[in-house]
Amino acid sequence: MTPPTLERGEDFWVGRFAAMGGPCEVLLDLDDRDEALALVACAQDEALRIEHKFSRYRADNIIDRINRAGGEPVEVDAETARLLDYAALCHEMSAGRFDITSGVLRRVWTFDGGARVPDEAALRDVLALVGWERVTWRTPVLTMPPGMEIDLGGIGKEYAVDSAAALLARRTSSALVVNFGGDLYATGPRRGGRPWAIGVDDPERTGQGVLDRVDLTRGGLATSGDARRFVTWQGRRLGHILDPRTGWPIEGAPRAVTVIASTCLEAGTLSTLASLQGPGAAEFLRDSGVEFRIH
Amino acid sequence: MSTRLRRSALLFVLAVLAVAGSGCATAKVQPWDRDLMARETMRFAPSKIESGTDDHIYFSKEGSVGGLGVGGGGCGCN
Amino acid sequence: MQLAAPERGLAARRRIAAAACALIAAAVPTAAHSQEATGSWTLDTSILLYGEQDRTEIFEPVARISRLFSNGHRLSGQFAYDAITGASPTGALPSGQLQTTTTPSGNTVTIAAGAVPTNEFQDQRFALDGEWEAPLARTLKSTLGAHYSSETDYMSLGGSASASYEIMDRLTTLTAGMGYNADKVSPIGGTRTGLSDGTVAVQGLDNPKNVTSGMLGVSHILSRRWLVGLSGTLQAEDGYLTDPYKVVSLVDSTTLEVSGQLTEKRPDKRQRASLLFSSVYHLNEDVFYFSLRGYSDDWNVRSGTLDLRLRHELANGKYLQPHVRYYSQSQADFYVPGLIAGQALPAYASADYRIGPLRTGTLGLTYGFHVKGMPGTVSLRAEYLRQWLATPGGEGEGEGGGGDDDRAAGGGEVRAGPVTTATIDPASIQSNMPPLNIGSFLIGYTVNF
Repeated sequence: MTPPTLERGEDFWVGRFAAMGGPCEVLLDLDDRDEALALVACAQDEALRIEHKFSRYRADNIIDRINRAGGEPVEVDAETARLLDYAALCHEMSAGRFDITSGVLRRVWTFDGGARVPDEAALRDVLALVGWERVTWRTPVLTMPPGMEIDLGGIGKEYAVDSAAALLARRTSSALVVNFGGDLYATGPRRGGRPWAIGVDDPERTGQGVLDRVDLTRGGLATSGDARRFVTWQGRRLGHILDPRTGWPIEGAPRAVTVIASTCLEAGTLSTLASLQGPGAAEFLRDSGVEFRIH
Repeated sequence: MSTRLRRSALLFVLAVLAVAGSGCATAKVQPWDRDLMARETMRFAPSKIESGTDDHIYFSKEGSVGGLGVGGGGCGCN
Repeated sequence: MQLAAPERGLAARRRIAAAACALIAAAVPTAAHSQEATGSWTLDTSILLYGEQDRTEIFEPVARISRLFSNGHRLSGQFAYDAITGASPTGALPSGQLQTTTTPSGNTVTIAAGAVPTNEFQDQRFALDGEWEAPLARTLKSTLGAHYSSETDYMSLGGSASASYEIMDRLTTLTAGMGYNADKVSPIGGTRTGLSDGTVAVQGLDNPKNVTSGMLGVSHILSRRWLVGLSGTLQAEDGYLTDPYKVVSLVDSTTLEVSGQLTEKRPDKRQRASLLFSSVYHLNEDVFYFSLRGYSDDWNVRSGTLDLRLRHELANGKYLQPHVRYYSQSQADFYVPGLIAGQALPAYASADYRIGPLRTGTLGLTYGFHVKGMPGTVSLRAEYLRQWLATPGGEGEGEGGGGDDDRAAGGGEVRAGPVTTATIDPASIQSNMPPLNIGSFLIGYTVNF
């Protein structure tokens, strides 16, 4: 494990490391370098712990055991059970649009900007393996028909942000921001009551342009976006967010939707649910009463 | 038990019911507002050793007992 | 395939928000458990340096180690060692004449005129405590404790069990507990007969003292920042409750001088009750601790304690915590600063100022900080205590006891029995024990690993 790097900002520390498939950052509103390093290391430990436990790319964790169970029941631990409960709630509330079993659809879709779309038969075969309603989940035992898979990627990163932030908040009373690949949580205002200035990245020009700025004192922020991975088909641009009920991409989803909520997980869930509404994303978020930005 | 003690015990039971009952009357603390309560400083006795030491000092210098828990030990310091 | 409409609106959002927060609130302890390499062990150590002006000095190192297992169980062990030296007041009144006291170890100590007679002593105490917390269900937790301590003249063996149950969305916690201690008092120099001249002492006696206690408590999270709790304790003691080394002075009714002394004697039963209200309030960064305790027992000792602390957070994880405590106690029924020589003896008598009309004031300051490069927190606490006796005249309710108090018939009433030629009111005997100044310094170190 590569140790994190530590850099001094204006009056805060920035720790950086790689986890969960992307760059991770911890901003700490304090002065002691050793304390900052210890806290960043703690965040890194938690990010890696969650990544190793819930990644579908590892051969030895609970997700792998579940996905290779071949129809046999699997007993899961308390933490996994809680995440499955949460995923079940999202499935129910989105009337089936949010579905952690929809990962297998990636077998027939490649979002490389090209024009390839799956043929009907292939899609039908894969769709038979999609659907949380086919899964029997009664805590703590999960029974899934063979061939189906679960993927916690849609909530894992936001959960890791909240979990890491909560762990750090118990160790220090200084304000901090945990940012894993753009999903972040701020525990409180900086010294002097100043908020953290969060820039919403322009997905078309990553790293160069900022579309918007959010001043965050406390809470979670997550962005869902359809801009970077897509397929062009019949002159239309189809984003990579798939509707598990049809197997086809959601059309008309916003390029980037940023939600600010009381936790990162809530923000991420709402932004995903909004994107799943396609063109109705803005209205969905307006109805929910949450603060958001749509681009 | 003397009447005085019985009276005190009754008062205590009423107090417990009052506190428990008032909990229903006040606005419920939402799960997202439980952040501060998770801190180690948000407990009645954040340091077991320090409260144990204090209990021992005051037990041996004064005539009262009674803190947050049961158990603990006696000593010849009266 | 149904294409139903999803839930939306404020209610939907609240549901998601609540589920997300509950997930994190439940998850953080898990994250701590599963990090076997970091965080599951806690080491708490402290050294106490305690000194009373011209009296007792104590050096007490304590170490407590605790391990949190991945199944949620927590095992803790604590070891304490006490080295106590100094002088403890015998209860005898200071006098204008020189007075000689016999000490338990057989030595005699000559007291300077006017000084408070004390016993010199030296003792060592070892104490071992164990505790096991086990989660029985999501909202139910049990705790079992055991205690053993030993010093030259005292041995204590005890156990306790308690359970805590969370209700109302885990905002309210109910706690119930019971404890039992089987102690043995083996006075140095033998067990002397109570209210006697102390020459008769039974050797080798291990006097039992059994203590049964029960506790009920409730705590409630009132708001995001405010935690309150109420707890009540009942304790029944049975056995040897007398202080084996303390005496009561006999005052000559004509010369008004101390003419002798008797060993003290206390009842062999005591029932005690206390009620404690606690509050913890989180300000912007600081935390304010408040507690109020009322106490009463069937020896008629009643007391009130007020305790305030403010944990003030400084930069860099440092903190400063001032502390104020005030304690006020009314005397036991049989507390007498002295007895009139020649009058009939009461059933029980003690001149121990610690069951007298006592006041204690405490002022303290704690400074906590991290040491660079070392994990854990260091704390330095300096406290000043002052104890004094209130004038007996102001303690009207303390005299005489309640009519339903059947303990010690005539206890506390030195006038019991046929009155002889007493020309002075025994209640006019006052202890002129000067206020006692105490200083303590506590160094603490806590680390998680």
